[in-house]
Amino acid sequence: MADHNDPNAVNHIFSDIDYSPADLYDLFGWPTNESRNVVFALTFAAAPAAGVLDSDLLYRLLLTSHPRVAWPATGEVTVDSILGYFDAVKDKYLGELKTAEIRVTVKTASHVLVKFLGFPCGDFSTEVDVNTVVAITTPDGQTINAFIGGRDDAFFNDLTGFFRSINYAPQFYHVPHTMTEARELPIPKTLLELEGNDLFNYRENMPEWGVSQPDGTTPKLDLPPGPWTWNGNSFKKDSNGNFRFVYDGRDCRAGQNCNAIVFEMPHSFITPHTNENRLVNAWGESWVLKAAHKVESIPDNPSWVDHPWKVIREKEVDDELSKYKLVDTDGQPFADAALSEREDDRQLGANNFWLGPHFIKRLAHLGWGFGPSISALGLACSFDHDNSPVSVYKTYDLVATAFPRVAKTLFQALNMPDSSWNPKGLAIPLRRPLEIFIPNVCAVDMDTSGTWPFGRRLEDQVATRFLSMFLDMDAEFQGKKYHVDLLGDQALWDSAPIVPKTPPNPLHNDKAFLDAFPYLAEPWPENW
Amino acid sequence: MATQPVLREALTAGFIEDLIRAEKEVSLLTSRCKDHPSDLQGRVRLVYRMFHRASLTGRLTDLGDVEAAIDETISQFGAKEDLCLLKANLDFRLHRLAAVRRDLELAPLLPGRFEARVLQADLAFQLGQYEAARQTLQELIEENPTWDTVARLAHWMSKLGDAAEADRLYEEAEEFLSAKQMLSYAWLELQRGMLDFNHGRYPEAWAHYRRAEAGYPGHWQTAEHFAELHAAEGNFHEAERILLQVIVRTSKPEIKQALGELYMFTDRSEQAQPWFDSALTTYLESVQRGGVHYFHHLADFYADARLELAEALKWAEHDMKMRPNFSTQSALAWALFRNGRMKEASEYIVLALDSGVRDAVLYSCASELFEAAGETDRSAHFAKLAMQMNPKYRNFRIHH
Repeated sequence: MADHNDPNAVNHIFSDIDYSPADLYDLFGWPTNESRNVVFALTFAAAPAAGVLDSDLLYRLLLTSHPRVAWPATGEVTVDSILGYFDAVKDKYLGELKTAEIRVTVKTASHVLVKFLGFPCGDFSTEVDVNTVVAITTPDGQTINAFIGGRDDAFFNDLTGFFRSINYAPQFYHVPHTMTEARELPIPKTLLELEGNDLFNYRENMPEWGVSQPDGTTPKLDLPPGPWTWNGNSFKKDSNGNFRFVYDGRDCRAGQNCNAIVFEMPHSFITPHTNENRLVNAWGESWVLKAAHKVESIPDNPSWVDHPWKVIREKEVDDELSKYKLVDTDGQPFADAALSEREDDRQLGANNFWLGPHFIKRLAHLGWGFGPSISALGLACSFDHDNSPVSVYKTYDLVATAFPRVAKTLFQALNMPDSSWNPKGLAIPLRRPLEIFIPNVCAVDMDTSGTWPFGRRLEDQVATRFLSMFLDMDAEFQGKKYHVDLLGDQALWDSAPIVPKTPPNPLHNDKAFLDAFPYLAEPWPENW
Repeated sequence: MATQPVLREALTAGFIEDLIRAEKEVSLLTSRCKDHPSDLQGRVRLVYRMFHRASLTGRLTDLGDVEAAIDETISQFGAKEDLCLLKANLDFRLHRLAAVRRDLELAPLLPGRFEARVLQADLAFQLGQYEAARQTLQELIEENPTWDTVARLAHWMSKLGDAAEADRLYEEAEEFLSAKQMLSYAWLELQRGMLDFNHGRYPEAWAHYRRAEAGYPGHWQTAEHFAELHAAEGNFHEAERILLQVIVRTSKPEIKQALGELYMFTDRSEQAQPWFDSALTTYLESVQRGGVHYFHHLADFYADARLELAEALKWAEHDMKMRPNFSTQSALAWALFRNGRMKEASEYIVLALDSGVRDAVLYSCASELFEAAGETDRSAHFAKLAMQMNPKYRNFRIHH
């Protein structure tokens, strides 16, 4: 009698996780061609390699265009009103708005099927070779530029600095997967090193500690036994009285590639009412084929290939999606990493409305860390931390207690550094963090340049702009209102008591972007 | 259009590709660890990949290499949770159940971790604590449903519950798996096929086995099931051909024993003997090295393949002491019966039956045993049950 034929025989308990082509990196979007076109670029891990796609994957770019909406400026902001806002947006997204979709199914490593579903001109599809710019003619005679393939990763960011700021242990220590309590350690999040924070402070004898290396390794240490707490009461200062920045401004993605799905399409392809519908919202999704559908008794329905102009988006399409599992979503940068804590079950894309209350509590938690750091540098802070002289580790169970702390951070309008974002000089309201992150979409305002948060241009330093949420936008620096790029201003760091004197993140990508489609730079050579 | 399972892609990566990748990774990581001897992350990754390779090959020597590497890493870096968990998994696979608990307790918080609790459920099942195993599995599934916890509950159901429910759970487990987990998918299909096989539904078993092969081509485990099914259907030459191939690939002694049994089943006793000799040599070598993994094979071997009844009893007793469950109890009952110790044999077969296990072969064994004990009504009852459950239970089968 067989008695030991249990799943243990095949249950592989991996010590780490490989690169996955389902891991979405970023979604960029901005208007082009004098606001007549819009570009969206969805980037993801270059696995198996840059320019080589995985045939078990399916990618979706979901799009909707509608009039510009803004938070009603009148009335007191309360927990009830904000929860009401979440509900209203939810109803809008799940009810009124019809989402169109570009679906990319990988047929082979070098060939994809692209389906356009739910657009005004009707459904159609085409096959495309990877790593090639192609012009796709739509049924109503418009032209869409498409590129699917390997590119230089357009993200430029001091990822190690970010992980140090949130005390994310797996970046610096060997943390077994079983130890779920040893991820973000219960130490105050901070932009400035904490005196005596031996678990995360920079080590001169290990300058590459926690920094991903070109060979794919990351120098890490053995996690010491707990408690992993911090009992200090001040920021660390050197003998010159300077704070130590947790960032050093390096580009942790330098020299690394991604795969990308890039489309440049007429706004009129998305909506017939381009004059009214000035916003184009988008989010990306990655799906992986279910095992059971890798083996099929019935061949793929060939109609999409044989009759690309005739297929109707009905049951067939839903049947296709039902064969896949949703893995990742991407709309706003840092919506996942900073605000959703990378939880798998929070991969909801635009439908992240129920996370609204969680966002408030999470933002308050971050505020207690970043807020005092900002104040210590002599900058005005949007988060109410009771003038705490040092970062505090604090979590919230109740939205009601967190909300008063973060109200300003959530609702303040984020100033832009100059007027270039609004080339037509229209009365476009500045955006507020609340509107930016709920729903989790890349919302391109067709009357703007599309720079974040009015979309996301390739050259935007979004990591630094994300931190600017914690600045008090009513304050001034050198006679000018605080703005989203202030923390990227070298003059600020030159005058601040801090080392290294650098903006937190690099100001530019490691490789120049292109002036023309597909805009992302050519990939770096890979050894495969 | 296709009526057999077909692949979405012409060539899905299967066993060979996985094994080549595993070998390459082990080689790369070994080299990296030599260059960076203090890189714990690299070392942990290496031992996990070695474990993966050993899982693929099924070779005890590979498992031995993993064990040595784990022990060395623990000795150098301390009892890290992931290392202790792997050690516990390895010991479980080798039936060293007492060691499993010790391994889990090496790291203070590990016993409370999800992954460790899964292993504890396995342990409870092996120790005959069936209800505890089921409860733990249901709690784990409620907490965090994963393919392997659902599959474990399916396995429980396949033995002690309802076969249809077991199949439903296996199918549910498949839904968790992506195309990146085809080895696990194929394993689930094999389990579903075995459910059918054990109920005499051969066409359904074929369908599952073929899906396993289509989803993860080239695995010797699937081939072994093909061979068994061929033999059960009377295609002995094809079964023989496949088993010989599997032996060349894995050298697993239990497959050699299975081939010998196939020869015996087809009245080719002389051909069987070299395979029995070879299997026995490996079993005994393992025992001499302190291994306990082959105790149950030795009990079977001496009770049926090569009659040395005292030896059969010895190994069955050893195994039962280690793993007091329906499987070892029935093996001991059989060995006692073959040794003419009817009273004790009856006690143990009753113990096995009282577990609630539903298995045609066990029913058949009970029937034979009760018949010999003069309990004809009871014997008839179990003979009927065996026939109801699997009208083809007398056909050839392999101890998996």
